[in-house]
Amino acid sequence: MTAPLAAYEGIVGATVLRQLHQLGEKLSGVRVVHVNSTREGGGVAEILEWMTPLMGELGVKATWEVIHGDPAFFEITKAIHNGLQGHNVGISSKDWKIYEDVNGTNFDRLRPILEEADIVFIHDPQPAHLLRLCERRKGKWIWRAHIDISRPFRPVWKSLKPLLEGYDASIFSMAEFAQPLPHPQFLVPPSIDPLSDKNRDLSPAEIDAVRTEYGLDPSRPLLVQISRFDRFKDPVGVVTAYRMVRKVAPVQLVLAGGGATDDPEGKAVLEDVMEAAGNDPDIHVLLLPPDAHKTINALQRLATIILQKSTREGFGLTVTEGMWKGKPVIGGDVGGIRLQVVNHHTGFLVNTPEGAAHRIRYLLHYRQDIERMGETGREFVREHFLLTRHLREYLTLMLVTLRDTKANMIEV
Amino acid sequence: MTPFEVKDCALLTRMSGLLPAINLRELRERIAACGENVLFHHYCETTLRASFDNPDYRNDFAVWSKLYLGDRVLAERLGIIDPYAVSSLGDLRAATLEVIDERLSELTMIPWARAGDEFFFMEATTVMFSAGIRIRHPSRLSDAIRKMTNGSIYFHFLEARRRPPIGADDFTAWLLENEDGGRNRPYIEALASIDFHFHSLAELRKELATRLSGLEGGR
Repeated sequence: MTAPLAAYEGIVGATVLRQLHQLGEKLSGVRVVHVNSTREGGGVAEILEWMTPLMGELGVKATWEVIHGDPAFFEITKAIHNGLQGHNVGISSKDWKIYEDVNGTNFDRLRPILEEADIVFIHDPQPAHLLRLCERRKGKWIWRAHIDISRPFRPVWKSLKPLLEGYDASIFSMAEFAQPLPHPQFLVPPSIDPLSDKNRDLSPAEIDAVRTEYGLDPSRPLLVQISRFDRFKDPVGVVTAYRMVRKVAPVQLVLAGGGATDDPEGKAVLEDVMEAAGNDPDIHVLLLPPDAHKTINALQRLATIILQKSTREGFGLTVTEGMWKGKPVIGGDVGGIRLQVVNHHTGFLVNTPEGAAHRIRYLLHYRQDIERMGETGREFVREHFLLTRHLREYLTLMLVTLRDTKANMIEV
Repeated sequence: MTPFEVKDCALLTRMSGLLPAINLRELRERIAACGENVLFHHYCETTLRASFDNPDYRNDFAVWSKLYLGDRVLAERLGIIDPYAVSSLGDLRAATLEVIDERLSELTMIPWARAGDEFFFMEATTVMFSAGIRIRHPSRLSDAIRKMTNGSIYFHFLEARRRPPIGADDFTAWLLENEDGGRNRPYIEALASIDFHFHSLAELRKELATRLSGLEGGR
């Protein structure tokens, strides 16, 4: 359940809300349809869950539609999704036909709303084919890529590119994730909701409950990495870094994440982590359920230093979340972590377990920097990575697209 | 005296359509060919973008040269280029190309970035909002500036230099427009005395408010 816009005023200030209302006035009555492939689970659904009602609150007639499909369709779209992210996948012409047919069935159901919409946002590749089917469309169609397609598997990209070229605009999270397309390509980074269970303020009692539940010692520094058990997150490297630091400082380590149970690769990584952790009572490997938002929130608040030692990363919203809790972040020098972590300001970028160990020791030595960097990071997130900024950029690009302008400046 | 209408602004960033540059020669070719909006973005709008203030260098080309080409000589030469000290974006482009050409002539090998570390050429649309605030007297400037957002500071003190009257910030333009018998002179001089090249927007706000505080004059 998303809080009303007014609830964010104490966090982002009245000026930010004023901007949103000014944009809302210009877009009042505009019919917007978001289309994705799932109502629950995953980052896209989480975004649409707050974005749709907040757009509505600002006067935009926003609706959110979900395409339906059978397991075969979603296996194909999963392969397309993976192919766009660079995996070598096999998608036959028969598979592409199924992809188009299922989009066709959904189009029959969604036709009136899609034809009448002023703006249609198509999220990710699953419903992308709807554009070709909607020949009598009146509005502008925008494709939103939530994934990194900088190095796609060429056969998949060759099949999908002609379809995406038909859109009026596209949106990517970062320049590094984009592919050249013959229309405006907007850059809109993701965001966090400061009032969600994962990010809202917690009472001391709520934080203490998590500390007690996992047997964490309040008198010693705590290192925390929150991420699924995936090799690209390098959890074993984190354990290596911890061991180097442990020789000189009595630190504790929490590695917490989910998603390992039905994923063979994740399971193997988790086993490697458990083996690396051995019987060390100060290493806490926590396999959390997908809805453990409050626990994650508390662990981040209990941390002395947040780690995100990825060797490959998307935007890295766990970094954003850690910074929002006022903690310095030691992160891998990759992807969106680079946009957020700046050496000596909000944390440190590292390339190796040795680098991570060095920076952990540095921060434990210069304790005053922990607070300073944490405060800087929190303000940085407040300015750039909260959902109000995300919403403002969507509204702005709607305005720019509807006006069909490439002007350097627009006044609202 | 005409009241000063406070504006606020934000950027909507987009790809420029130029291919990314992987080495110094490609950077040079793209800078020679890019639109002025692209140049302005990487020199000036970088302060407002969601990238952190790099304390060493004030423009994206210098930062990229240092971090990803590993060429500190080039970074230093690009870093000292002040986009507000040249008379036009055409001159800014010429100054940038001159530095790069000089560096290319010194090098025996073209510096390259790793795949994934390319320079991405971007541009932005500035969205201007009304902040709903009016300043009616120069003596109120300091207090008003202290409460302004980063967007307002950027818009009125930096971005303004791109709009007529070219090279002047909005505060100075307002003070000159309403000048009567030199009473606004202390404010105009205080604004002109600020070396803003190394300031983040938060620092600039503080400096503006401090310099304009407690001045005598105005009507």
